[in-house]
Amino acid sequence: MSHDDYREMLPARALSALDAAEDRVLTNHLDECAECRRELDDWQATTAGLAFEASPLEPSAQVRERILGQVRSATVEASSSKVIPFVQPRKNIWSSFGSLGAIAASILFVGLLVYVVLLWKENRALQSQIATLSAENTKVHKELELNAAAVKLISSPGAKMAELGATPMAPGATAKIAFDKTGHAMLMAQGLPAAPADMEYQLWFIVGKEKMPGKTFRTDGSGSGVLIDQVPAAAMNSAVFAITVEPKGGVTSPTGQIYLVSRS
Amino acid sequence: MQPEPAQTTDVELLKAIVRQDETALAELYDRYRVILFGLLVRILNNREEAEDVLQEVFLQVWRRAADFDENRGRPFTWLVTLARSRGIDRLRNLAARERVAQAGAREPSEEVSDAVADAFRSEQRGLVTSALSQLPEEQKRALMLAYFDGLTQSEIATKLEAPLGTVKTRMRAGLIKLRELLGNKSTTFGFE
Repeated sequence: MSHDDYREMLPARALSALDAAEDRVLTNHLDECAECRRELDDWQATTAGLAFEASPLEPSAQVRERILGQVRSATVEASSSKVIPFVQPRKNIWSSFGSLGAIAASILFVGLLVYVVLLWKENRALQSQIATLSAENTKVHKELELNAAAVKLISSPGAKMAELGATPMAPGATAKIAFDKTGHAMLMAQGLPAAPADMEYQLWFIVGKEKMPGKTFRTDGSGSGVLIDQVPAAAMNSAVFAITVEPKGGVTSPTGQIYLVSRS
Repeated sequence: MQPEPAQTTDVELLKAIVRQDETALAELYDRYRVILFGLLVRILNNREEAEDVLQEVFLQVWRRAADFDENRGRPFTWLVTLARSRGIDRLRNLAARERVAQAGAREPSEEVSDAVADAFRSEQRGLVTSALSQLPEEQKRALMLAYFDGLTQSEIATKLEAPLGTVKTRMRAGLIKLRELLGNKSTTFGFE
C-alpha cells in the first residue's frame, strides 16, 4: 500500500468511519508517519467543527457537581488523611499496652501511606522520564530511517541530486533534493525560519514557465524539514526546484515569496 | 463599548488542570458543556446516557490533560474528538443504533441563554451550518451518518444502498469541500 493510499484514508479516519481492517492498517502506518499524523490532525480540526451542527443543550446542574465531587474525592484520597485516631486513656496496664499498640499501628499506617504516596510520585516521575526517553528514541530512530532512505535513494542507478540555495528571504538556509529515475524524491532542508501559523513551505517544480506544485512541509524547532514527494515526469530532466511559503495544505499556483531555489 | 476582560485561554486552562487545579476544570466545563452535551445527545439520543458520557469525558480530561499537545491542534478539537469518540463507543456498546434510527426526530434543543452558548450559536455554529448547506445532499448525508450515527463506510453503503466506492468518494469529497468552505476558520474554533 502506498503513502497516497494511506492519505486517502485520513478523512474517513477523522470521522471514525473506516472499517476495522482498514483502521488497523492505518493505525500501524500512523505510528511511523509524522506527515500523515499531521494531516490527520488537520482533518480532525475540520470534523470537530461538525459538532456545531448539533443543537446546543444544557446538561443538568448535577453533572457539574458530580464531576467536581469525584475530582475532589480523588484529590483527597491521593493526599490522604494524616489524622491519628483519638485514643481513649485506659487505666488498665494491659489496656495501655493495647493503646500503645493502637498508636503504633496508627503511626505505622500513616507512615505506610506516606511511603505509598512517595512511591506513587516516584513512579510518576519515572514514567515521565521513560516517556521523554521514548520520544527521543523515536526521533533518533526516525532520523536514522530518513538518512538510510536518503542514502538508498542517492545511490540508486540514475539518481540525481540538486542543491537549492537561499534567497534573501532565508539567509543561511540550504536544501538538497534527490530523486531516482522513477521520480521518487526526497527533499532535506535546513536553516529555514518557522513558517507563520496557517502557512507551510511548499515545493515547486518549474519547467520553463510552468510551475508544478509539490507537497507542503513544516520545519522542526531547528529549522529542518524533510519532504517525500514525486517529481512530475515533465520535470525529470530540466526542472528548477523552488520552495515558497503558502497557505496550509498548499496551492496550485505559487503566491508566496521564494525562500530556496535551485540553479536552472 | 467596554473592552472585554482578558480571558484565560483554553491551553492555559489545560495546563492548570495538569497541575490539578479544580477551578480550571470547572471553567473548561462551563465553556464547553453546552456544545459537548448537544453533540452527545445528538449521537446517543438519550439525555441520561449523554450526561453520563459527558461526566466521563471531563474526568478523562482531569486525568489525561497532560496528553494534550498544543502543537497538534486546539483544545476545542481535542475535547470534541474525545467526547465524540466516547459517545460513539457508548453508542456501539449499547447497540443502540436501531433505537436511534427508529427514534426519528431528535430531541428538541432547549433555550440556552448563557453567553457561551450564544457565542457558539451566533458565530462558529453559523459558519459550519452555512458550509454544510453548500454541500451536495448526498455528501452531507454520508458525513452526518458517519459523524452522528457512528456508521462506518460499509454500514453507510448498506444503509444508502450505494456502492462502497461511491460512499468513500462522497465522504472524501464532502470533507474536502467542507475544509475549503471553512478555510482556516476550523483552526479557530473554541476560545482563544
